[in-house]
Amino acid sequence: MKVLAFSHSMDLALELISAGRELGDVSLLMTSDQEGRINEVKGAKEILLCKGMGSGDQEGLVELISGLADDYEIVLLASDRRGRELVGQVAHRLGGSSAVDVSSLSVEDGKLVVERMTFGGKAIAVEELGLPAVISVQKGKFKPPEEGEPSVREISAPSVERRIEIIERKEKPKVGVPLDKAEIVVAVGRGFRKKEDLKLAYELADVLGGVVGATRPLAADLKWMEEEVWIGISGVRIAPKLLIVVGASGQQQFAAGIMDSKVVVAVNTDSKAPIFEQADYGVVMDLYEFLPVLTRKLKEIKGG
Amino acid sequence: MDIAVLVKQSLDVQELRVDQDTGKIYIEDAPTKAGDIELNATEEAVRLKEKLGGKAIAIMLSTWGSSGKRQKEAREALTRVLAMGLDGAVLIMGEGAEKGDTYVIAKALAGEIRDKFRLVLAAEGSEDNFSGLLPARLAAELGWPYVAYATAIEVEGDYVKVTRSLEDFEEVVKVKLPAVISVTQEINKPRVPKLVEIVKAKKKPMDQKDFSPPVEPKLVIRELKVPKVERKQIVIEGDVEEAAEKLIQALKEEGVL
Repeated sequence: MKVLAFSHSMDLALELISAGRELGDVSLLMTSDQEGRINEVKGAKEILLCKGMGSGDQEGLVELISGLADDYEIVLLASDRRGRELVGQVAHRLGGSSAVDVSSLSVEDGKLVVERMTFGGKAIAVEELGLPAVISVQKGKFKPPEEGEPSVREISAPSVERRIEIIERKEKPKVGVPLDKAEIVVAVGRGFRKKEDLKLAYELADVLGGVVGATRPLAADLKWMEEEVWIGISGVRIAPKLLIVVGASGQQQFAAGIMDSKVVVAVNTDSKAPIFEQADYGVVMDLYEFLPVLTRKLKEIKGG
Repeated sequence: MDIAVLVKQSLDVQELRVDQDTGKIYIEDAPTKAGDIELNATEEAVRLKEKLGGKAIAIMLSTWGSSGKRQKEAREALTRVLAMGLDGAVLIMGEGAEKGDTYVIAKALAGEIRDKFRLVLAAEGSEDNFSGLLPARLAAELGWPYVAYATAIEVEGDYVKVTRSLEDFEEVVKVKLPAVISVTQEINKPRVPKLVEIVKAKKKPMDQKDFSPPVEPKLVIRELKVPKVERKQIVIEGDVEEAAEKLIQALKEEGVL
């Protein structure tokens, strides 16, 4: 199988090479803004470097990738937002199959077989895709390869009829430790009555050396926190060693985002909340009473 | 300017029962509804229509079978969005639609949209499958530009100004109409229809059409598995002091403290 890979994020692009090597030879497409990281690329057969196009140009990328894809059976993209935006468009241009956010992939009898989460995390769909196939790969599932020097071939950018013009682009401020890389996460939900009370969660996270994440309503509806810290199927999917869920009921969209956590603790006043079925340890108690005591006791241990 | 809103008949995943031991997924028993983010797309369409004139129509292609129960639910889901202020709805239903992948459905929907609408609004993902593939494929099928993850939309003459949120950037883009735009839940707060609006919605035009697959699917679902998530579900008892101590002890034994 010949595999073409591309991601706007170089970190994810390196993961795609590993995913693609399970299927065959990988060519990695790189854009002008990514050239500075060309030496980090290992394990691909070749790099296709397009100096005439930047990774912000979605319309151009649809054209470029669709054009290149004639020579490949499989196109791999990343499951970040810009990657997912491309999947359906490129697949349809090729008259091919598509799937997003796949966690495993293999070739059987000339078909690509992938697994992906569906029904808000309640099921895994095993799907058979006809070729050509365009898929996005779940973040963090594959480690970047460490060996194998690729050859580099420069390619030209196609001419594109412009219908989308970017009139403003602002880089978002970076959060400290990204949630999906954190070892310890404290996740907060609607059980907190006001924004100021979140300090109880931050104090707990501090003493544990962890970070604070939130359910979608807390960030989206109440706007108490940045959207980078939403946990869930449309936000960040996390896989920490320890997750402490405080004052969240455990709606399906959230539950799907925490499935890969190693140990889950839930604190909630409602003993019937679904979160207790998703937890290893449940504390049926008012967070306002429990959190300060837990934090104090942890401080005592850590302090001496 | 007439606007089409793609409304999926989504399985209500919160109500979907799965059996960890047998691996059975009770799809037939689960109710279906209009997905939450599609209510945001509907709200945005109604706001744009109120400002600019023209019609806003819901389009649904039902993929969970065409039993009496599913027909009733599909009509209820459409009544819900009509009550929010849409002018009418198209419901496409029939045998074989449940085997249709996004390739087939995009082809089937394109005929309902081309030449009739200038703007298509959709959700960033459906509630049950959350792939977000359909609006992207529909745009490619129509040959229209596609912008996903909109958090604000403004129509300015022949263009739409879309603000969108990506992982690392905030972007404002100007898109030439006709176009397909998918929205996130942050774009607005969907209105809750009053009873009188729901009564009125039942009298709005709902055009039901038979589905016939225009092409063969490119994808087959081989199997649906129930993921094994084995949690200990231990309830920590005692007063606040005891519970905190017991929890710390347990986490030490797990080796995570």
